[in-house]
Amino acid sequence: MQSFRRFDRTTSLMIGLLVISFLLATFDVRSAGGGIGTTMREGVQTLFSPLQEVTSAATRPAVGFIDALSDIAALREENDSLRLENEELKTEIEQFTSIQADLEHLMEINDLEAPDDLPTVTARIVSSGTSTFDLVRFIDKGSNDGISLGDAVIDQRGLIGRVDEVFRNSARVRLIFDPNVTISVQDEVTSQMGLLTGDNDTLILRVFNAEEPVREGNVIVTAGSRFPPGIVVGTVKETAADDAGFGLDTEVMAAINPTRLDYVKVIVGYSPLDAEDEERAEPEEPVADEPADEEPSEDSSDGEGNADTTIEEAR
Amino acid sequence: MRTREVGISLLLVVLAVVAQTAVFGDGRIDPLGASPAIVLVVVLACARYIDPEPALLLGFTAGMLLDLLGGAPLGLWAMAYTVSVYIALRFRSRADDGPVIVGLGVVLLTLIAHSLFVIIGTLFGERFFTSTAVIKDTVLPAFYNLAVAAVVFPIVSRLIGRRRQLGWTT
Repeated sequence: MQSFRRFDRTTSLMIGLLVISFLLATFDVRSAGGGIGTTMREGVQTLFSPLQEVTSAATRPAVGFIDALSDIAALREENDSLRLENEELKTEIEQFTSIQADLEHLMEINDLEAPDDLPTVTARIVSSGTSTFDLVRFIDKGSNDGISLGDAVIDQRGLIGRVDEVFRNSARVRLIFDPNVTISVQDEVTSQMGLLTGDNDTLILRVFNAEEPVREGNVIVTAGSRFPPGIVVGTVKETAADDAGFGLDTEVMAAINPTRLDYVKVIVGYSPLDAEDEERAEPEEPVADEPADEEPSEDSSDGEGNADTTIEEAR
Repeated sequence: MRTREVGISLLLVVLAVVAQTAVFGDGRIDPLGASPAIVLVVVLACARYIDPEPALLLGFTAGMLLDLLGGAPLGLWAMAYTVSVYIALRFRSRADDGPVIVGLGVVLLTLIAHSLFVIIGTLFGERFFTSTAVIKDTVLPAFYNLAVAAVVFPIVSRLIGRRRQLGWTT
């Protein structure tokens, strides 16, 4: 009888805890990243941040060493391919020099601003998600440093992700690899617009009504909207054409390496609302080619490849 | 209620959470793109020695901490860990049968916890099933945990273990 009673109590407690968890998950999803969930996250993040920073700093050399060991085969292969690529690139440098001069001239004419000209905050990644399911990183700067929800996060290679939760002294960055992240992008070579969606290890580019093929090696950059335009996102992995007229899908190799992230820059001077205001104030500015900037909705894809950058923040 | 054991268990869980987020995890030490779920190993190890109700609460707390420090909706890991600890409690007297059974239990319970997380997360709108990586992220940690358990279980046993193993009713 005693055994039965104890079994009953434990089972009841488990059911109670499951109900609490279920309710918390429901409220958290319904509040879309706000409410009590954010308060609790901020509290725990504030408590754990110092411990994480100390641990991260203390173990960084060891982590780097172990990571390098586990990647040694991949690094060897990468080294060989980089050697080949280096030779090819050397021959192309002269051509690119003249193209770059032309581009700089065009940028002056159009009074365009490069992403580097925007104000940024340098931050350091202090922790990752709690499992490999979590494609997020936590940085050591928050709202006290001027960081706000939606800010783009970059490093010297390109776009890393977007701030999707801000605390006073830290922030959570959702990586571009997250399947919930969709970015409005542009093929730099063909100027075709498309949508780039995270797929855990890779990125999938979808171009609707593609008029010409997207070729391997073409650089994909952000097309404006929620991210500042012109940030490198990656390069096309495989040539793809729209043979059937339904658009094309192809893989994109991200410019960033998620395992090598350390210092990052958060672009704090740009928001889709600012972009909207600028457009309203200066309608004659050459922004007509920008993709659907006027509606920074949760997901305003119009099915024509002119969708806003979207990050589903229903969490 | 054995407060000392529960207190030490909580401390070990906090240390495991810090290690999980700052040392292991995506982008840190993650051989083959997956990392061990050391928090779960610590919770399972502690659940061998503390009473059932505190053990369940410990699993829930550990899961909740992971939820609060992670990117998924709150409560997902809490649910997964609570169920795993419940199953562990149900069968913990079998831990006396030796390290092979303990190892097998750790692997199975890690698989159960990760599978539950993926299934419940999908119900709450997470897109775990968009690529085959979900299989890797579910299966590999179970085997990594086997290695982690070989280190963690003796430490926990030394810290809070008692000569007499607790059964379901004690």
